[in-house]
Amino acid sequence: MKPTLTNTRGISSLAAILSVVVIALLFMFPRYVQSTYALHIMILIFINIVMGSSWNILGGYTGQYSVGHSAYFGMGAYTTLILMQFRQIPPWYGVWAGMLAALIIALIIGSICFRLRGPYFVLASIAVAEIFRVSALNLKDITNGAEGILTTEIPPLTIGGTVITDFASKVPFYYTGLFFVLLVILVTWLIQHSKLGYFFQAIREDQDAAHSLGISLTIYKNTALAISAILTSLAGSLYALYVGFIDPTTVLSLELSVSIVLICIIGGIGTIFGPIIGALILVPLSEALRSNMLGQALIDSGLVSAESKFGNFLTENLAHAHVLIYGILVVVVILFMPDGVLGFFKAMAARKKKEAA
Amino acid sequence: MNIFMQSLISGILIGGVYALIGIGLTIIFGVMRVINFAHGDLLMIGMYGTYYLFTLFNIDPFVSIIITIPLMFLYGAFLQKFFINRVLGSLPQNQILLTIGMGLVMSNAVMLAFTSDYKILSTSYSSSSFDVLGISVSSPLAISFVITAVITAALYWFLLKTDTGQAIRATAQDREAAQLMGINVKRMSIIAFGLGSALAGTAGALISPTYYIFPQVGSIFTLKAFVITVLGGMGSIVGATLGGILIGVAESIGGVYFGSGWKEVVVFVLFLLVLLFKPAGLMGKSNT
Repeated sequence: MKPTLTNTRGISSLAAILSVVVIALLFMFPRYVQSTYALHIMILIFINIVMGSSWNILGGYTGQYSVGHSAYFGMGAYTTLILMQFRQIPPWYGVWAGMLAALIIALIIGSICFRLRGPYFVLASIAVAEIFRVSALNLKDITNGAEGILTTEIPPLTIGGTVITDFASKVPFYYTGLFFVLLVILVTWLIQHSKLGYFFQAIREDQDAAHSLGISLTIYKNTALAISAILTSLAGSLYALYVGFIDPTTVLSLELSVSIVLICIIGGIGTIFGPIIGALILVPLSEALRSNMLGQALIDSGLVSAESKFGNFLTENLAHAHVLIYGILVVVVILFMPDGVLGFFKAMAARKKKEAA
Repeated sequence: MNIFMQSLISGILIGGVYALIGIGLTIIFGVMRVINFAHGDLLMIGMYGTYYLFTLFNIDPFVSIIITIPLMFLYGAFLQKFFINRVLGSLPQNQILLTIGMGLVMSNAVMLAFTSDYKILSTSYSSSSFDVLGISVSSPLAISFVITAVITAALYWFLLKTDTGQAIRATAQDREAAQLMGINVKRMSIIAFGLGSALAGTAGALISPTYYIFPQVGSIFTLKAFVITVLGGMGSIVGATLGGILIGVAESIGGVYFGSGWKEVVVFVLFLLVLLFKPAGLMGKSNT
């Protein structure tokens, strides 16, 4: 049954008010919360939302499961940092160069990989990303190889002589991240509510049918990839500038590509809110493990004594295994909620409604 | 010329082990149409098993496969019964993600248990070699190649001559038709995944004397396994055997002429070229 027009209007205006309130709260957040750790988590969540949402445009809406998005992330990160560190070009120009570089490689990769379908496309996307990783390891003159690139300071952003920000604290990164998140959500929303979005979804549902209706697969798959790659490179640039250190194993690894996909899978693919929910679940969980909060909590609660062998083991090793939670989560989500957390709760709500009716 | 022959020989010897990895993946794909992204991690578990059998009980790595094979078979059967079986009917993307997740769980659980330190299994013959017509051949590689050849032959015999083997091939050819013929398809799937992981574990045992052992070693081999199976044609066992040797040679010769850092790129470029120009693989049928 289709909802009536007034009904959808009512919901969307409520949603609009809610989003305005949430955005306003997010803008005020650094003013009231001074904790650098809280800001750090928020910035990581923002970066993850941008990563997930940009993958979502290609994977979620167009149905092309790229497991090689680290290539675009790394392209953004490397271009920005190389230009800043070795050519003294400030990052707000470097970011554009990173986006351009990502666009160029996306078009090349797209022209190769989009001839393949299903599992073959997945494999090709992984192979391409691996070629970039190994190349970054070997092209030591440009990328510093396995040593990676470390930045010490970012030049202050000035417009007409007045200093806008000097990037000394986490706050400018927070607002940049928030801005990027809003940008990506806006882009996704625009796509979803335009002809382009319908073309993308038609390709996802049945590409042969879409093709026979006159939707050019080459053009629209590449368009989706181009948009997705540009936005992913943005996330990469922000990550590189924020963390200040990149090497092939952090920004070009298969694990990164997988975690980009996971953000969407866990939240629910092909929806605006999916990646947001995915990032809100994944980042705090993996941070809790990384900073050993979980092991510490077990010891503090008295379940495990810190001196015992097991307690010792927990404090020593648990922090290294934060990826474990990714693995467990993806197995659980695929087996029990294949439409993601969002889809799972939607289905549950629908069932309740049915029972009530 | 001597260098060329040298790298050709060592490429073929390593290729034998690669063939085992590829055959395992291709059997799993053939029977269930599932691409197992945890394949390299199964190999990694085989490596760790061999390492601890050697350091704790002093069992030679090449002898330990007698223990590794049945254990890995049971482990694979368990994974199939409780995890893979549940997603057989769902989207290929979900199957891929499930196996990726299982691989992450395995590699990170191993990291938790044994730390991420590199381990080296050094036997008395790890670095020994012998000369054949002026070409030096590494002994552990030569032994592992012989074992690989024996296992591959046994596998061919099993698949071609035994009833279970034929049932597995029938399931791979047409799952529904096989089911209609009274073949227990579920059981065949369990055997297939068990076989696949036993082969991966064996490959892990065979390379452990010549390779670093660490929790993330699996992803390297997962990717290689794909290259091998795609090269040979998904689901083709003969193709995987040839593909394995081809990749071994390409890597070995690529390493000599482009530098060892670039040898993986040689393999991946080869992979992309095959995907583009002959996506069904060298031995595959064109309609897949």
